[in-house]
Amino acid sequence: MPIGLLVDSLATSVLVGSLYALMAVGLTLTMAVVKLPNFAHAELISTGAYAALIVSLALSGSPLLVMAAAFVVAALVALLTHWTVFRPLSRRKSSTYVLILASFAAGLIIRYLLFLLADTLDLFDKRIQVAQEVWLQAGPLTLTNIFFWVAPTSILLVVALSLLLNFTQLGRQMRALADNSTLAAVVGVPTTRVVNLTWLLVGGTAGVGGALWGMYTFVDPMLGWLAILSVFAAAVLGGLTSFSGAILGAYIVAFAENTLMQFLNYSFGLDFSFKPAIPFIIIILMLMIRPQGLTGLFDGLRRDAQMER
Amino acid sequence: MNIDLVASSISLLTFFGISAIIALSLNIEYGVAGIPNFGQALFVSLGAYTAGVTYTRLMPLLAGRTPLEPCASGNMAAALALRGEILKSMPLVALGNFALTLLLAAVIGGVVGLLASYPALRLKEEWFLGLVLLVGAETVRIIVRGWPPIICAHNGLSGISPPFGWLPTAQIRSLAFAGLVLAIAALCYWYSERLVRSPYGRLLKALRENGSVAAGLGKDMARVRGQVMVIGSAMAALAGVLFVTNLGFASANDYGVALTLDIWVMIVLGGLGNMRGALLGALIVTLLDRFTSVAAIQFNMLGIDIEFNYVRYILFGLILLLMLRFRPQGLWPEPRRTTAANRVLAEQAGAAGAAASQPGPAE
Repeated sequence: MPIGLLVDSLATSVLVGSLYALMAVGLTLTMAVVKLPNFAHAELISTGAYAALIVSLALSGSPLLVMAAAFVVAALVALLTHWTVFRPLSRRKSSTYVLILASFAAGLIIRYLLFLLADTLDLFDKRIQVAQEVWLQAGPLTLTNIFFWVAPTSILLVVALSLLLNFTQLGRQMRALADNSTLAAVVGVPTTRVVNLTWLLVGGTAGVGGALWGMYTFVDPMLGWLAILSVFAAAVLGGLTSFSGAILGAYIVAFAENTLMQFLNYSFGLDFSFKPAIPFIIIILMLMIRPQGLTGLFDGLRRDAQMER
Repeated sequence: MNIDLVASSISLLTFFGISAIIALSLNIEYGVAGIPNFGQALFVSLGAYTAGVTYTRLMPLLAGRTPLEPCASGNMAAALALRGEILKSMPLVALGNFALTLLLAAVIGGVVGLLASYPALRLKEEWFLGLVLLVGAETVRIIVRGWPPIICAHNGLSGISPPFGWLPTAQIRSLAFAGLVLAIAALCYWYSERLVRSPYGRLLKALRENGSVAAGLGKDMARVRGQVMVIGSAMAALAGVLFVTNLGFASANDYGVALTLDIWVMIVLGGLGNMRGALLGALIVTLLDRFTSVAAIQFNMLGIDIEFNYVRYILFGLILLLMLRFRPQGLWPEPRRTTAANRVLAEQAGAAGAAASQPGPAE
């Protein structure tokens, strides 16, 4: 494989991996604290992307403003789905299947509302209006300001979220809920408030993920749906409830989808249309062979960020 | 605007029959046995792909002709013409090929269903099975879409028509196909009802209600799950053959998550575990589907440019959410089944209860 292709695909892997990490930590948080494999997470991502796009078109292309808008709107939508869909269902002790089905339905509704919105305002395949400029040119590697916004912002948010989880009152309460919700309630964790805040955080990070994705490529109502199974693959690689595992998983998935795919295409002529199958195969193999995720493999390195048990 | 009432009701009946078979298959798997198949589109697609292969390879052989490579750009049109010509001029070949396709699809569906049930034994949490099936369905779709031999990759394959090309008029042709579809649907319904009412059906419900208890009573639940997946998947694959021949065009993108969700809407709306409920759900979804597409045409003619496809999905999502929240048992809930043994036991319990309530010295 020529060095140019390799370097280029590695840069893409880092970028996409950071985005997946940001999306996957939110999904992992939902699975740990709320015990919900939320497929509507996809639409939280798309919602953030559209909030960012509309703000960038109507107000300004300042990346910070755009991301703040994405955070707020997606966080509110997440809280709304919790109140209208998931909380009533889990109060009725619905099975996980019913919750998954409900998350599909909620996602479907949001996705096609976004389609209607995009249709009326003509917002298909638009780029978030952040001016692009080349910031680094070194040999075969060209990095724009988008790269320097997307990757570090994602990493920063993931780190912030980890710190919050490990060193704050709210984080401890979230982990207590993840561990044993009955016990947490008994010892005085304000469960309702903590769950609401969890949803806001989950929605917000998903929204920022969508906004950053929209700066990197295009905004489309299908954006979140097309990313969600890769994000699930990242979470599965991390054992579904481990934060650090999900982050590691995100980079592995991104690497497989970009660098490995590029290599398979170059060396074996594998068509790029097979690329979406990569995260699917990862999910199937992991769930069957190692459902506890990869983190157990590095027990020495593991910190208590792992929320399982 | 001139709606041909007869033609549209025939096509509606055909759609209903196909949806009914698919809904029944998922209702056996999830409604009765509790297997969360979030990849039912895969098993429907297997029927479609089988038809794609038999129509291009088997049918010319049966007709004594050389099969043409269907996807090569040079003879794509020739291969399509050959399919049309055989369907038009050789009734026996057309029908025989169709029967073989149905049989083959059921076998392939059953085998893949059995394979798909295999992970169920090894998954840590129950819902992982749903995720594995969902992702497995998408994987197969992407492979078929990228790999030409089956249905010419992303180009799709046309000319997969009902085996009634030799009948004189379009009306008679569609009527014959509708009749065939409804007959197969009736057969599937009869079979499903028999299955639920049998002792085996009660075993399936035990698996749904509490697998550990049933296993504790000495039932091999892994095997039962495998058997149910074989039955459900074979039925779905049969429906897939009818589905694709009704469309006349095989394309991998028709068998995505959207189709799976439509099937779930049918059974959740109709009534989980109740076969009549599944039929009702299939009917309502077919009607709504039709209604939205007719409404779309009407609105477009009035100059109102609203994409009704979006409205359809929002509507289906809302139906699913409202049903799950307010009426999870469905519009036509599963009836309480009583057997002869049940009645005898109830009588004895009644007699014992009456005896116990008699005043008398306590033992």
